[in-house]
Amino acid sequence: MSAFLVDLAFWVFAVGAVWTGYRVFRTDSMVRASFLLLASLVNVGAIMLLLSAEYLGFALIFMMALEMMVMALFMVMFMMNPAGLNPMVMVHQNRLSAVAGFAAFLGLSAVGVLADFPDRPVPEPVGVVARLGEELLGDSMLVFESVGVLLLATMIGAVALSSQRGRYGAADEGSEPPPMVPREGGAR
Amino acid sequence: MQVAHAPWWLGALVVVGTLAVGSYAVAALHELLATAVAGGGVRVGEGVAAPWRRAALLLRQERTRTEAPDPITWALAPALYGGLAALALTVVPLSSTFAVADFRTGIVVWGAAEALAIVAIFLHGWSPNSLFPLVGAYRFVALALSYELLSMFVLIAAALPAESLQLTDIVAAQHGLWNVVRQPLGLPLFLVVSLGVTFWGPLDLADSSDLAGGTSAEASGGQRLSWQLARCAMLFSFAAMGATAFLGGPLGPWLPGPLWLLTKTVVVLVILVGLGHVVGRVPPERFVAVGWGLLLPLAFLDLLVAGLEALP
Amino acid sequence: MTLQTLLVVSAALVGVGVYGALSQQSFVMIMMGLELMLNGVMLAAVAFWALAAAGTPKGQLLTIVAMAVMAVEMVIGFAVVVAVYRARQVDMTDMLDELKR
Repeated sequence: MSAFLVDLAFWVFAVGAVWTGYRVFRTDSMVRASFLLLASLVNVGAIMLLLSAEYLGFALIFMMALEMMVMALFMVMFMMNPAGLNPMVMVHQNRLSAVAGFAAFLGLSAVGVLADFPDRPVPEPVGVVARLGEELLGDSMLVFESVGVLLLATMIGAVALSSQRGRYGAADEGSEPPPMVPREGGAR
Repeated sequence: MQVAHAPWWLGALVVVGTLAVGSYAVAALHELLATAVAGGGVRVGEGVAAPWRRAALLLRQERTRTEAPDPITWALAPALYGGLAALALTVVPLSSTFAVADFRTGIVVWGAAEALAIVAIFLHGWSPNSLFPLVGAYRFVALALSYELLSMFVLIAAALPAESLQLTDIVAAQHGLWNVVRQPLGLPLFLVVSLGVTFWGPLDLADSSDLAGGTSAEASGGQRLSWQLARCAMLFSFAAMGATAFLGGPLGPWLPGPLWLLTKTVVVLVILVGLGHVVGRVPPERFVAVGWGLLLPLAFLDLLVAGLEALP
Repeated sequence: MTLQTLLVVSAALVGVGVYGALSQQSFVMIMMGLELMLNGVMLAAVAFWALAAAGTPKGQLLTIVAMAVMAVEMVIGFAVVVAVYRARQVDMTDMLDELKR
């Protein structure tokens, strides 16, 4: 691929990633929000492919497709308005958040533009995957082991937190099903 | 490994052409095997004509409308599903030195296509804004998580002897012995995954009749046709992958590689479509129990066997 | 596609994520903001790996760790949301105001 095509593809994916990322918080539907986030992640995955990080790009798309799928399931389960048929604004401290987000963007991009980073590109894309594999699973396997143990602990913790029945009986004992009409004066 | 490169338009043409012929072949095979299993013998003429007749019937049908659907997503979901079938097929090597897109991470590309296919099926059920499609989509996603794990474990096991995620390497590693002999559990588990992700036959739990058609309950006319076409295309891609990862793909004596791949793909297709006719629909809750309690441990066993064999 | 432009894009992703995580009221939407921030982090890590680190695999490892963090964040987040919902029928941050009183 010529350099021009790579640049063009990069800008398409970059604008796509940021735009869909922004739309996540501007849509009325929870399901749309999670798939817009997926679109943003897929765009970032495509940029990674352009940067010759082949394994990471595809792995990101692969993992995030499943993750956002689960996200959408929870969305429909918990939220009102999953189909986005009614307009919906559920925000607080909107102005403060916008200022904070913009400040984060300015600060980080100032670092990115002004700081002097070395210019040492990947020498040749061949063997990138193999070197990553050796780093991940070679010698002491530190990252692999710690991430594995972390994920195992997470699974156990999540099951303990969310399981129906615990040591002291059913988790929802004494709770009541959500009412069809909102309670007066808020939730409690 | 060094592979031949084709211009991108030729690759696209090969993939789209193969899928068009392949999905028609799946539909025809479906009809042929239906008569054969029912004891009516092999009636080639009828089986070849029936898909065309059904397509013509669907194209004459009126489009149904629902209240406040997401029209763009609804219209594009079949295209997404079919496009993912094409993406999945690009990584399958057509001869022992040529695949349309021979990624070094072919297995991961395949996994990404599978994962996005689940999203496509969910969107197809969610977008009409109707009850039964949404129930079908929900049920499919709950089941799909168990298919996806199985699929990755058996494919990684198939990649282990090759010590590579590239599919041409995986084919090359089967020169002496096919993976189906080396890892006898791999192919049957992969067939389960194939039926699951294409919601075919016993695992037709997304579009099943107990949900009045599931995700396509509201789809009619050309939309239904394109959805069924995409589903046939996906089944074809899965059969080609099964033939490649476990049956040696284009390897074989006398005949040229693509013909061997085609023969093996058809064999896998006959098994898949035949299973669809012979085995009844599995109750979803029972499948979840079997999937996590039996099939997943079997996939671990498969991985263990492959790992022990790969030890130097 | 230079290192600078890549870093600006990832900064924009982080910025949008910060906005979402701070402004949204629903737990699940807050998690989306966090994911978007991690998305920017992963992009920056891969950009550094590809253009400033001469191809040592460390940058890629950082991305893999970020992916694991995303998975952990989601699993624990949903577990907490489920537990809170069971106890209080609450799915928005502003409804959990016991500590304010």
